[in-house]
Amino acid sequence: MKKIIIPIIVVIAVFAHAGCKKWSDEKTDIYQYIPPPGQTVSDATPLCGSIKGVMLSGKTYTIGCDVYINKGDTLVIQPGVTINVTNNSGICVRGVLASLGTKAQPVTLSVPGLLKDNTPGLAFKADSAHSSTRLWRGIACDTSCTMLVLKWTHIDFAGSAYGTTFSQAVGQKPTTSFNILFQNPNGYFIMEDCWMWGGTDDCIRVSQGKIHVYRNTFEKSGGSGGDIINVKGGTTGTMAYNFFIGTAYNGQKASNKGQPVGAPQTNIVMYNSTFVDCGLQVVPGQRGSTINFEEGARGAFYNNVAVNCRVGYRVVNNPAADTTNLSYGYNYQYADSLVIANNFFTSGTVCKKPQSTDLPNPATYLPANFDYTNPVYDGTPAVQKLAPMFVNFPLPCPSSPWAITSVGNYNFHIQPSSPLIGKGFTGVHPFVVVPLDPTFGASEVTPPGADLGCYQSNGTGNQH
Amino acid sequence: MAYCKKTGFTLLMLFALKFSFAGVIKGRVSDFKTGEPLTGAFVRLLNTKFNTTVNLDGSFILKNIPSGKYELEVKLIGYKQSNVSVIVNDKETAIVAEINLTATTETLQLVTVNTVQDKSSDRTVRNIEKNSDMVQNILSEKTIQLLPDVTVANALQRVSGVTIQRDNSGEGRYAIIRGMDQRYNNTLVNGIKIPSPDDKYRFVPMDLFPSDMLERLEVIKALTPNMEGDAVGGTMNLVMKSAPDKFTLNANIAGGYSTLFSNRPFSAFAHTGMNNASPAEIKGNSYQATSADFNFNNFHYSDKQNPVNTTAGLTIGDRFLNKKLGVIVSAAYQNFYRGSNTQTIVPSAGADIAPIPTTLIVTDVIDRRYSIQTNRIALHNKVDYFFNNRNSISLYNFYVHQNEYQTRYTNDTTFGTNSSSVQKSLDVDYRSRWQIQDIYNATLHGDHKLSNKVKLDWSSVYSIAKSNVPNMSSYNFNANVLINGSGKVYEIDSTTYGTSVKHIWQHNSDRDLAAYANVTYKEHLFNRDIEFIGGGLYRYKTRDNYYNDYSLKPNYNTNQRFHIIDTVSLAFTPAQNGSGNVTTITPNNYTVHEQVTAGYAQAKFMLLQQLQVLGGVRIENTQLDYTTVMPIQFSGRSGTIKYTDVLPSVHLKYSLTSKQNFRLSYFKSISRPGFGEIVPYSVPGEEFTELGNPYLKHVTADNLDARYELFPGGADQVLLGTFYKQLQNPIEYFVINQGGPSNLNIQAQNTNKATNFGFEAVITKYIGMFGVSANYTYTHSAVTTTKATKYYDATSGQVQTGITNQTRPLQGQANHVGNISLLYKNQKVGLDAQLAFSYTGDRIAQVSIWNNLDIWQKPYMTLDFSLEKSLNKHFYFYTKLNNLTNSVSKMYIKTDPSVVNKFVAAGLPFQSANSSQIIMQRQTVYLGILGGIKYKF
Repeated sequence: MKKIIIPIIVVIAVFAHAGCKKWSDEKTDIYQYIPPPGQTVSDATPLCGSIKGVMLSGKTYTIGCDVYINKGDTLVIQPGVTINVTNNSGICVRGVLASLGTKAQPVTLSVPGLLKDNTPGLAFKADSAHSSTRLWRGIACDTSCTMLVLKWTHIDFAGSAYGTTFSQAVGQKPTTSFNILFQNPNGYFIMEDCWMWGGTDDCIRVSQGKIHVYRNTFEKSGGSGGDIINVKGGTTGTMAYNFFIGTAYNGQKASNKGQPVGAPQTNIVMYNSTFVDCGLQVVPGQRGSTINFEEGARGAFYNNVAVNCRVGYRVVNNPAADTTNLSYGYNYQYADSLVIANNFFTSGTVCKKPQSTDLPNPATYLPANFDYTNPVYDGTPAVQKLAPMFVNFPLPCPSSPWAITSVGNYNFHIQPSSPLIGKGFTGVHPFVVVPLDPTFGASEVTPPGADLGCYQSNGTGNQH
Repeated sequence: MAYCKKTGFTLLMLFALKFSFAGVIKGRVSDFKTGEPLTGAFVRLLNTKFNTTVNLDGSFILKNIPSGKYELEVKLIGYKQSNVSVIVNDKETAIVAEINLTATTETLQLVTVNTVQDKSSDRTVRNIEKNSDMVQNILSEKTIQLLPDVTVANALQRVSGVTIQRDNSGEGRYAIIRGMDQRYNNTLVNGIKIPSPDDKYRFVPMDLFPSDMLERLEVIKALTPNMEGDAVGGTMNLVMKSAPDKFTLNANIAGGYSTLFSNRPFSAFAHTGMNNASPAEIKGNSYQATSADFNFNNFHYSDKQNPVNTTAGLTIGDRFLNKKLGVIVSAAYQNFYRGSNTQTIVPSAGADIAPIPTTLIVTDVIDRRYSIQTNRIALHNKVDYFFNNRNSISLYNFYVHQNEYQTRYTNDTTFGTNSSSVQKSLDVDYRSRWQIQDIYNATLHGDHKLSNKVKLDWSSVYSIAKSNVPNMSSYNFNANVLINGSGKVYEIDSTTYGTSVKHIWQHNSDRDLAAYANVTYKEHLFNRDIEFIGGGLYRYKTRDNYYNDYSLKPNYNTNQRFHIIDTVSLAFTPAQNGSGNVTTITPNNYTVHEQVTAGYAQAKFMLLQQLQVLGGVRIENTQLDYTTVMPIQFSGRSGTIKYTDVLPSVHLKYSLTSKQNFRLSYFKSISRPGFGEIVPYSVPGEEFTELGNPYLKHVTADNLDARYELFPGGADQVLLGTFYKQLQNPIEYFVINQGGPSNLNIQAQNTNKATNFGFEAVITKYIGMFGVSANYTYTHSAVTTTKATKYYDATSGQVQTGITNQTRPLQGQANHVGNISLLYKNQKVGLDAQLAFSYTGDRIAQVSIWNNLDIWQKPYMTLDFSLEKSLNKHFYFYTKLNNLTNSVSKMYIKTDPSVVNKFVAAGLPFQSANSSQIIMQRQTVYLGILGGIKYKF
């Protein structure tokens, strides 16, 4: 038996093997898009497709369809440039974008014809900041963008859905609608002294990156949901002196979720930001409205001010922030009503410990055996206590809660009598991970202030 | 297919007068040629009242026979009648007769079955198994009818080495053969490949086929060159009933219900007045839809108490024109209300570092209730015409139409992420899904005996499979439950926070045009019969898919109280999200063409007197192109994929004795990726978003099989086999992060290689009225893939994400799979009963992105019972009871007890302290009852 079977198998196997090698093959031809080379920008015709070069000071440019800054290319926007974005277009950055406005000559990116409406209590669907059909897609960077620099720049009326092509270019869903997206763990995202108006979801989403977000103003950010500066796993840097009013969810949020291989643990230092009327769309227990640390994020938050925000500063316990490497204190909260005061320490899985340096001192309204992981207390003693004494903003607020979502004619600088003055902790160390450079880098690392919040009585801090 | 006209009766008797018992005639009836017992043959003493039927082991007995001379008549369809003279001398004398019947047809060849012989019995299929050229297992029509199963999917679990993949109501849907996932198996109807209505894959949902339409179900585990080469685990061939020899009328009707709905009502949604087409389909892609384009009809739910399941079947067949024209029409209707209660713990996209590296993070605990109404109509019809004994032609039609109405209610307690002991966040989610699936197949087939040496057969095929899911709608809202210090709920605050409403339109179709031709040439060479077969196939497939997904959100300045969904003001934010230009311009809208051209040559001969060799080679060429609706900026918008495979095989069959075979075979085979897997689509799935992969390669496999077979007689059998498979580029689902850190996606990817080996044993034994059928398969497979780790790195003082290799079994492969059926057959009172036990061992249900966080399914055991009792000559009562033990299906993660203890302390439900398993899912489907009447003419 064996004598016959074995040779047969061998013969067939050899034949088969030889046959397979000779005949078998596989050819795959999948369409690859190669972007056309970048064209030097001009203000003569609406911009469209791949662009690069310099937008010249004082000129007005129009973006007529999605524009792309290719890998290796740079677009510099000089002071005083106005960019009108039409047709729900967006700017995709695969190389470098630097918008270099100045206090005297800011850069403006907006949608022509859309006007800011500061009416208090404006219905969501009537508010062009969220509901216009003409919003633009904002600035979205893919993983090869090495640097995005925004200085003294107005970024208004972004928040359109990315749509098919644009979303694919940056690896997102067509329905994604971030005003700014950054996602290179080795890239630099620098944003100083800018203004952002409106939106429909997260205003700034940093999937990974080295960041520097200083002295900016955010009005009407987010839509029916959305965090304003939302950073995920693999992001490091500092957020300081930012002003937020009328946010959907959190103003500043840090998480280590999605930390890529080889990227650092999310580590964000936050100080001296001010939050007013924040957390419009939040249900206490579900989310935060001001500062939020969660899922493995480490860092610090000091010297912040929250006024009439739906939920207080929040450190999440499950999935837990890296609490051993998270420090905080000297944070101020103000509540017009008991509902708000009862959420200074919000419910849900939280683990923010009361700090005696906080204002008002938690000891004045928390029970003796306060369990900070299951906060139950009566916040009555904290209601309308220690008003911040803004230059021009009535407290208690006469409008219904969360009706004022933009600065308008109000002034959130602090009066000399403000209880915020001199209460700051100046020992916080800014976490500087970006280069310092007047063009391709950060202009100023403002150290922690002696006063709480973003506006300092000595004129430093937020310059708006 | 060979045809032999029924000839007259011949009688062959063999009398063996043996020992004596008073007035008793005892005997055995068997097949003249094979010696198989002929169970069910009718035995009677002419001109008396004495009669009986033959037992499972071939024996019969007639008692209390007065002295005298009798004529004993033995009849069985497909056999020539036998009449024997019997003398009962006195009361002390017993007669033991051995009666052999001659089949009216010749012995079976290959798997072609004669049209006249009773093809439905176990005995016949044992013959096919024994005489077949390759390794296969078969369930006969009678076995299938007696099974507790009403669909082919559930019946498949009774086949050796087959595991079934269940749907959300615990019903079988796909078959895993020898640990090889459904993608590695193909489905044939009467030997013809049929397309799938599935929106992504090629494999056919086996629950679409009512089991009572089958003549037999073949699971072929080793491929010969004349078979399509795209099966690694095996080929499931559904051989449908063909025209009977004489007028046949069978009908059945039954009712039943699931005891699940004694515990809770069935939740039905309103499905009348639903838009069959999306706003973009109706008004064009530029149309910007608003909330006004959608209604809330299918969010209106009503409860049904104890809904009644019904099944009905009708088969009519006859032969006309001198028996030259045969016609059979069969219809089946099934309407089932099923469901399940499922508690699932949802893993996060991330992982923790404590208490051990790469620790599970839980985001939600969800409680799901499925209410599923499945309404299925299947029609099948075959017309054959025999011009003469050399030429015949047949037209086969098969059509199945299924409506599935699924209500999914989810109560998400959001364990952890947003809940504490004083506050629970509940996310309540309703989903209404109506899926319409159709499969139609028409096959024109011809057999021509060109000469005594040359035969030609051909088939031309048109098939289409469609699925339509119009306006699958879901909404959710949030409820905040506030609990005071003593654990009492003091407030429930439902809000529009996080509310979203989704409407999805999806439909796909898959159309085949195919032609098959085979030429058989028999020659006598070197003193031996040699059979050469050569042939080929060409198939042109067109597949398209449409997908459109709308998501609306509440339209308020701040979140509001949630009352009912009808009163919530909704809008698209941003407004562009309502435009077809955003929602439909996705790679999910695509068209695929595929051409498969195959040719083969094989030879079969007796190398030695007992050694049959079948060997040859098959070449398959596949050319596929796809085009999506994506713009030119999208890489991967279109593509072509071409490959050729050379698939040799050799099958040796050594007949140790007339009842024993030893088989050895080698074959090479392939598995083609699903269309949806290749196209770079993205669709939200039940748990994760699923992504396509245009660079996915097809799988090739080398397969070795050895099997020992013993057919002691009757339906008895002993099969002992072993197999070894090595796969190149096996396709596994990977969970990957893409499009945002919280976005977990599933994508099919190739891994380097995988091995799969094991052995199987099948034993079937009948003793008198009792029978035992048991099978057991041991399978071991291994594949190595990269996994992510999360750990604290002391050097950098940071939490880090790392990469490691992990070796694990193939997804879905259980080490131990077994079935035991106990059968009772009392022909005298017309009772058939079966108790069927099925066991599927530990297996991976979901592969995780993270090291050691794969989700496993615990061993699953089911016990089912079925019974059939004849009421009179034509009427039978039958009942089928499923899941007698109320088995709970459980999923879990293998981990360290310290992790479990952490979750126990945190109050995660279903866990027990110090266990090394985190229970991730529990699914309960409860007992199902069906009972009814069959009519057989």
